[in-house]
Amino acid sequence: MNRIRHTRRDLLRYLGASALALPLLSRGRPTFANPEAPPKRIIFFYTPNGTVPVNFWPKGGELDFELSQILTPLAEHRDDLLVLGNVDMESAFNGPGDAHQKGTGQSLTATELLEGTFAGDAGESAGWAGGVSIDQKIAQAIGQETPFPSVELGMLVGKSDVGGRISYRGPGDPIPPENDPAAAYARLFGDPQASLGDLERQRRTRQRLLDQVSLDYRRLADRMEDQDREKLEIHVSSLASIQDRLQGAGVQFGGECKVLDLGAPLDPSRVEQLPAIGKLQMDLLAMAMACDLTRVGTLMWTHSAADYVYSFMGEELREGHHSLAHKGDEDTKMVEHNTRINTWYAEQLAYLISSLKAIPEGGGTLFDSCVLVWVNEQAKGNNHDRRQMPYVLAGSAGGYFNTGRYVVQPKTATHNQLFVSLQNAMGIDDDQFGNPVYNSGELPGLRA
Amino acid sequence: MTKSLSITLLSLLVASSACDGDDKPTLSSGDPGPSPLRRLTRVEYNNAIFQLFGDTTRPADAFVPEETALGYDNQAAALVVSPLLAEQFLDAAEKIAGRHGPAVLEGLGECKDAASITGECGAAAKEWVRSFGRDVFRRPLSDEEVDEWFMVFSDGTAMDDGFSALGGVTLAISGMLQSPHFLYRVEFGRGSPDADGIDELSPYEMASRLSFLFWNSPPDRILMDAADADQLRTPEQLAAQARRLLRAPRAREVVRNFHRQWLGLQKITTVLAGIGKDVDLYPDYQPSLLPLWQKEAEVFFESAIFDADASLDTLFTAPFTMVNKQLAEFYGLPAPSADADEFVKVELDPKRYSGFLTQAGLLALYAKPNRSSPVHRGKFVRERLLCQVPPPPPDVVPEPPEVDITKTTREQLEQHKVDPQCSGCHQLLDPVGLGFEHFDALGRWRDRENGLEIDASGEVLGVADIVGPFEGASELGALLADSQQVRDCVTTQWFRFAHGRAETDADDESLAQVREAFASSGYRIQELLTALTQTAAFRYRRAPGVWKGEEQ
Repeated sequence: MNRIRHTRRDLLRYLGASALALPLLSRGRPTFANPEAPPKRIIFFYTPNGTVPVNFWPKGGELDFELSQILTPLAEHRDDLLVLGNVDMESAFNGPGDAHQKGTGQSLTATELLEGTFAGDAGESAGWAGGVSIDQKIAQAIGQETPFPSVELGMLVGKSDVGGRISYRGPGDPIPPENDPAAAYARLFGDPQASLGDLERQRRTRQRLLDQVSLDYRRLADRMEDQDREKLEIHVSSLASIQDRLQGAGVQFGGECKVLDLGAPLDPSRVEQLPAIGKLQMDLLAMAMACDLTRVGTLMWTHSAADYVYSFMGEELREGHHSLAHKGDEDTKMVEHNTRINTWYAEQLAYLISSLKAIPEGGGTLFDSCVLVWVNEQAKGNNHDRRQMPYVLAGSAGGYFNTGRYVVQPKTATHNQLFVSLQNAMGIDDDQFGNPVYNSGELPGLRA
Repeated sequence: MTKSLSITLLSLLVASSACDGDDKPTLSSGDPGPSPLRRLTRVEYNNAIFQLFGDTTRPADAFVPEETALGYDNQAAALVVSPLLAEQFLDAAEKIAGRHGPAVLEGLGECKDAASITGECGAAAKEWVRSFGRDVFRRPLSDEEVDEWFMVFSDGTAMDDGFSALGGVTLAISGMLQSPHFLYRVEFGRGSPDADGIDELSPYEMASRLSFLFWNSPPDRILMDAADADQLRTPEQLAAQARRLLRAPRAREVVRNFHRQWLGLQKITTVLAGIGKDVDLYPDYQPSLLPLWQKEAEVFFESAIFDADASLDTLFTAPFTMVNKQLAEFYGLPAPSADADEFVKVELDPKRYSGFLTQAGLLALYAKPNRSSPVHRGKFVRERLLCQVPPPPPDVVPEPPEVDITKTTREQLEQHKVDPQCSGCHQLLDPVGLGFEHFDALGRWRDRENGLEIDASGEVLGVADIVGPFEGASELGALLADSQQVRDCVTTQWFRFAHGRAETDADDESLAQVREAFASSGYRIQELLTALTQTAAFRYRRAPGVWKGEEQ
């Protein structure tokens, strides 16, 4: 019989030994060149199952490029885009896991997954991601400035394993997204019905409670060994993040920070509600940034190899997204359906950009300080290619990137380098991200 | 570093026990394997809240779903607590305390109308902390703990202007519900390990192991009383409790829960619901069938295991299933009962049908929207029923051909035999799955496919005790039911579910013991479950700091 062998070391790695070092980890503090300038913000936008490359890549050169069918919804924001050619997810050809597990688990970590017992396709297995994700590395550097170091929102993320997580505080320490807009609202903005007195009382009782509870966890952790101790310490650090927030002022409505109307309740597990759920989650994230509740966000659209049927786009769409992505290139009908799905995702990104542009800040808009990063788990669904990834940036991160271009790397580059560029843009002075075996240094040619 | 520490501690302990004399019972226990700290699952949390307050609102349904490993949602290594989940615990605890605080206060007469925490109210509150804390933490509290939680109560009474006993009750409840002693199943053992560093569980820890295994719930009064009397210690005592717990209705839900996860039945109403079937090809398909398919399987297992005390053989080969009116129509059977919703046992043709293997839900789940999928069905048999891990496919898979309606599915899979890149693995998968070819994408019997004759012959390769070719699902069912590898796999699956972890080399003895008991019962599932409580893995744990065996 096949047997899964666990060494203690595996379990440690599985759980993520270095998560403990988290609070100390902020290597490279952010440096704000100009204290007057608005803070920088970054949003990651994940979609699954690869794109349709022939309908994704622009035609033409760096400046005179012509947007493809899939990218057409972004036409209005053409001058704010950086379409990135010839960037591979090289790390995702290595380490444990099947093509989807590696593609999703490494989409923001750029290092091998841990060994583990998540069953992948045809016998592959993997654990959680093996390192901190780029959003969390940035959150660890700049997150102390805001009540929420980062905000993770999901749309029908239906997997609770490595295929359903992109954010990691460290190896083996995944952060799940909140799929329910109503719950996300309550978490970010509090109970809209509560009075100031109620909130103040809640804050005091929570402080007392969490003091007691944290003490309980710390004492218990001291009596435990190895992975049990680490598990409790991760719990303590999660409690600490709530406690930190209680020290702060909480949300102050006013100016561009407004109360959002969520409308009628919706069921966050129904695929036909996906457009409505996605819109609310994007609205919430934009407003969280307008209120300066966070400067780092992730939006995870479904999950690795998600097979939801997007019939809300038209009755003729009857195959699940993953199944469609697996169809051969000669199946023009299915390729067209898959193209429509990816085009729809570009529309969603365009909506998010427009929302951020609608929020005035300084002399311009909130979007001026942002960079949005569209990532995928694959380049192409039917062969699981993870080279030539369909990466798109939107926004200059406060003038850091020179946008309005289609930049094809002359020499094949990797997503490790893309993330070095992003961390540099966000003020982290570090020329490595993920496993540097898969290249280090920033992506050349992006800066303004 | 941990190792050198434990050696030091060990030598100290060995030395001191030598001075004590040797009246300590010899455990002669064997290695229990690791006992990782387990977090309550959402099901367990809901059950605990029900047991504490009679609250049926299932507050944990709003929590982040469990991280799944090995197919199960209760695997200790995968369950970590993110800031989001910690906040959900906080939120739920506050809401529960808010809902039930007033009723709790009703029972705390001395405090209800008190003006301060001093005097009678203080003494009563302390006693309440002691008894309620015991219910929440599933063990008696130490005096220090009582003092500490009484301080929380006391501070809670002063959160508003003036004294509020309700404030004390709610703060204490919401605090305890976030304590690690509630949210985790904390175990330290009796604190008297043997020379190998193996310790018995404390009576309360054993009460929890039993109740969480058989009920996914905290211990009931009877278990707590038995723990008080230290009567959860001998194998006989444990077996008697196991049988008692198995007789209760709550055990039925646990057995359903196990099968949902082992066989992936829950995917029928989640994954399959999102995919659906091609209604042009299968006009009979309706989403309303999905919950019925799942329920058919669950009710089948529950009824067979509890009402008929079934053996493994029955599960794999039973010529009957459980249907309600709509399912009977779907299968083309006469309506089984006057009550349209009631699931009733119906007899099936044993030449066609074979236990759970031929129920529509599983076969539809392991199929495509527009055709059967021998590959997925074969993979299901390999992974879940034989506990085998088929080798991986190439990283870049060649594009699959389109469905050709002039051929049978079998003919279309011929490429897997021809292409040397595919044949290695697919010879393990396809010939097993092809045995189900009489069942279409809806999991329903068909005589022909695309007007062509169906060939449901198959072959099982690479399993020591299943040799060679077979004809159709019923022969496959009989082969599987008679296979030692399948029996061992079922034992392993239950072990993973019961212990919240993968088996390790250290568990060989425990697993062998369960297998033996399973065999001598004639492979009855209830006896397998009882046998799980008799092993070293269930009864003992490695004492932290003292265990000196192989690092696992």
